[in-house]
Amino acid sequence: MTPRAPWHPWAMLGPTLGLLAVFFLVPIGVAAYESLFSWDMLTPPRFVGAANYVAIAAHGELFHIALRTTGFSAIVVAGTMTLGLGLALIVDRPGRFFAWVRASVFSAYVVSWVAVALLWMWMLDGNGGIVGRALHGSPLGDLRWALPALAVVAVWKLTGYAMIVFLAGLQSIPPSLYEAAALDGVGMWGRLRHVTLPLLAPTAAFVATTSLVTSFQAFDVVRIMTQGGPARATELFVYAIYEQVFLDLSVGRASALTVVFFVLLLALATVQLRAWRAREGEGR
Amino acid sequence: MTSRRWVRALRAALASVALGAWIFPYAWMVVTSFKTLPEIMSRPTAPFARHLDFGAYREVFAAMPVGRYTAVTAVMALAIAFAQIALALPAGYALAKLRFVGRRTAFGVVLACLLVPAQATFVPVFLMFAKVRLVNTMAALVLPFAASALGTFLVRQALLAVPDEIVEAARMDGASEWTIVYRIVAPMVRPTLVSLFLVSFVFHYSDYFWPLVMTTDDSVRTLPLGVALLREQGTGVRWNIVMAGNVVLSAPVLALFAAVQRHLLRGTR
Amino acid sequence: MIARRALLRASAALALAGCAPRSRAVREDGRVVVTFWYAYGDLVRKVMLDLVSRFNASQSRVLVRAVHQGDYFEALAKLRTALAAGAAPTLSHVVLEVVPYLARAGVLEALDGYDDARAIPFVPALGQRGSFSGADNEPLVAIPFNRSTPIVFANARVLEEEGVDVPRTWEELADAARRLTRRTAGGDVRWGFEVPISWWYWVAMVGQAGGRIVEPDGRITLGADAGVEAIRFWQRLAMDRVMRPPPGRDYQAWQSSNESFLQGRIAMMWSSTAYVRYLEDNATFPVVAAPLPRHVRASVPTGGTMFVVLRAAPDEEKLAAWEFVRWMCDAGQTIAWSTRTGYMPVTLPAVERLGPWYARHPNDRVAYDQLAHATPWPWSPELFRIDRDIVEPRLEDAVLGGRDARELLREALAEARRPA
Repeated sequence: MTPRAPWHPWAMLGPTLGLLAVFFLVPIGVAAYESLFSWDMLTPPRFVGAANYVAIAAHGELFHIALRTTGFSAIVVAGTMTLGLGLALIVDRPGRFFAWVRASVFSAYVVSWVAVALLWMWMLDGNGGIVGRALHGSPLGDLRWALPALAVVAVWKLTGYAMIVFLAGLQSIPPSLYEAAALDGVGMWGRLRHVTLPLLAPTAAFVATTSLVTSFQAFDVVRIMTQGGPARATELFVYAIYEQVFLDLSVGRASALTVVFFVLLLALATVQLRAWRAREGEGR
Repeated sequence: MTSRRWVRALRAALASVALGAWIFPYAWMVVTSFKTLPEIMSRPTAPFARHLDFGAYREVFAAMPVGRYTAVTAVMALAIAFAQIALALPAGYALAKLRFVGRRTAFGVVLACLLVPAQATFVPVFLMFAKVRLVNTMAALVLPFAASALGTFLVRQALLAVPDEIVEAARMDGASEWTIVYRIVAPMVRPTLVSLFLVSFVFHYSDYFWPLVMTTDDSVRTLPLGVALLREQGTGVRWNIVMAGNVVLSAPVLALFAAVQRHLLRGTR
Repeated sequence: MIARRALLRASAALALAGCAPRSRAVREDGRVVVTFWYAYGDLVRKVMLDLVSRFNASQSRVLVRAVHQGDYFEALAKLRTALAAGAAPTLSHVVLEVVPYLARAGVLEALDGYDDARAIPFVPALGQRGSFSGADNEPLVAIPFNRSTPIVFANARVLEEEGVDVPRTWEELADAARRLTRRTAGGDVRWGFEVPISWWYWVAMVGQAGGRIVEPDGRITLGADAGVEAIRFWQRLAMDRVMRPPPGRDYQAWQSSNESFLQGRIAMMWSSTAYVRYLEDNATFPVVAAPLPRHVRASVPTGGTMFVVLRAAPDEEKLAAWEFVRWMCDAGQTIAWSTRTGYMPVTLPAVERLGPWYARHPNDRVAYDQLAHATPWPWSPELFRIDRDIVEPRLEDAVLGGRDARELLREALAEARRPA
């Protein structure tokens, strides 16, 4: 429809576009700009060109951060996908009991990351935690197990979302397909393999990419549970940026990390958008 | 058939395991919050508290102004949720219903912002707020989220399904665009608005990251930050107090969730 | 619907009206309000808040409002960002290593001209002048608050059972750790020794090995050979599996050690004198404190924090803050502070008055006696960066990851010499 006055659309879009530009688009430019300076916020900034990028790439620091974040994300995605799908298949039943199971798994997704992180810190505590004592010490202090431990916590929190999405996907599969397969004599597992899983593929792709992007942006668990330790073993991307600016007061380096992080996210998000469109295409 | 029964039993067993794995931590959190510290140190795995000791809760309320933090957090989350709806409606309407030059670009801008998370913008935004001396204020907590790219996108999608005739009829009745957007079209996409509101409210209520970055003292400190500070360093973490704080933090959200979950987690066929 | 939304947005806008920086002092009931950002938890926090309320009750000119900001490093991070954002408090307290940096950045108020500032009879090693070397010409910007040294805590019962004496040298420490470590069949371990893998303790060992972090002429050496030796000693203990590095970063590691000690899982540990009261009160066995062992010589750094007044605050608030700081340095207060925690009293008269107390609580005086061997910090603005950015992360690498100490320090030196 035509707008009643030419300025109408812009009045309607103005605040939104303005705020979005100021808080989402402009900052990327600012980050790129700041990444060329060395600044500790207390003394005047100094132009250093590409030195910040060189610094973060030195000693493989950037590479290790990216590697850790990717490793963390991989565990989280694999975990949420398998658990999410498995749980969706299990709880896709009527009745109060299964409703309870669905609700309790999803409730972890709803509460704050602070709550989940503190709760698991307690459970993993080497001295008094239920899990920590069984493991003879908190995995959070172990160089090899700290990052996987954080990933497990993230899986515990995020699986609920995957489960819900898979449930929706399951419910969109027409029952007639199952009936037809049953008539053809296909057993339960066969139906799973030949009807359910293929039709869930776009949903799975959606869940995978959403989990990937979410886990790539992980911060709260690191900040609360390990603060990047031990010996940087859990220093993920966003935490590294946070540390650079708020603990080391190195705005230039933090900005350089931000720029790299954003570029990586763009790549991931393009994959996500493509998967989303595929899902939309297949129909919900 | 036996195999059917076997499958049913397996399903029930696995579901129970899942129920346990997700409920047990909360139960443990609550149990711990009612213990005393010596109890925790001496018998950490005791399944129940010896008596219901409210000492930990008293400490939580003594250690931080729970009421004030909760109020600040709620006001912030409400302001964000309301602002997002208030802005997404006209924006989504313009993108869905009006034809004008630059519409595709505007939509492109919205989509582009979907790709930029807060974790990528926080440093520059912090610097921007620092320059205008608005760090550690409500403005820094609310303004960056007042417009939601995702919200605008979803409202637009929902509005695409609203028939144009309704808008035309309203226009012919002499309704202003303002009225059309907020009074006529809005109720038609109520489910989208409600879920947008809820998701936004819960997300920002529970948000730890942004308030952590944007606040420097406790004048606009939010509840998640306050609870996180309970794990005080130095002489020994008092887990009963931390867990009590956790209960205080999670209970409202869980209660809200319990109230609406029936609509969210629709059952099966 | 609309009216409600509009109302909400209006009130949000009112709240959004934010705060501009203050040029005039904040007053409440006619009293000048001093915001004091502090960074303690638990027991020490209670003592702190108790003293603050005593001060507030004792006079009606100043109201100190204490705001808790987490641990030392969280609080420092918030302080620095608040300074950058123009939202800083009037008074805070910071670790010694960062004082030169803040002084050079020009954010600290010079206190020389304030009443009695130069007259307070500080224990020489604890005041600004004595705590730093090369700072004689610097203006007075830091007043000692909670001051500490690292000390040894030992489980007296376990030591007696095993017939081991508190070690006085590095070799005795390695030997004692070995003899005190016990492993059960079930996989539980009582460790002979534990120490948080942290800068403070490393600096102590560098001093004991005869080295210096920064030479008097300003050159950063990170202890040279002594630095390497210190790390290698830790690595050896860890490899021999008689020392366990506690999990957690910064103070999480310290509190983990304390907990393990109280539970009898470690026989000896290095920690801060700040925990004397806490450990004595909560242990089910007699706790013995002792000075750190010597190697080539005896040496300990001092620790804890110093009060700092921020220059950007309004003058009236700064004067009010000074009133509080000076009150805290009075014998009555510093004695209360020390006896209830384990930190050292900061003035000489207070030390004298504590004679009888020390006689009854020998653990309390270990830190004070150790001051005879206290090594001052170099007054270097790079010190904090060297500590947090460069050395601390690498220490864990070395002890937990087994990296070569010399290579690690060479890397650290290269980074330290690069401009920030």
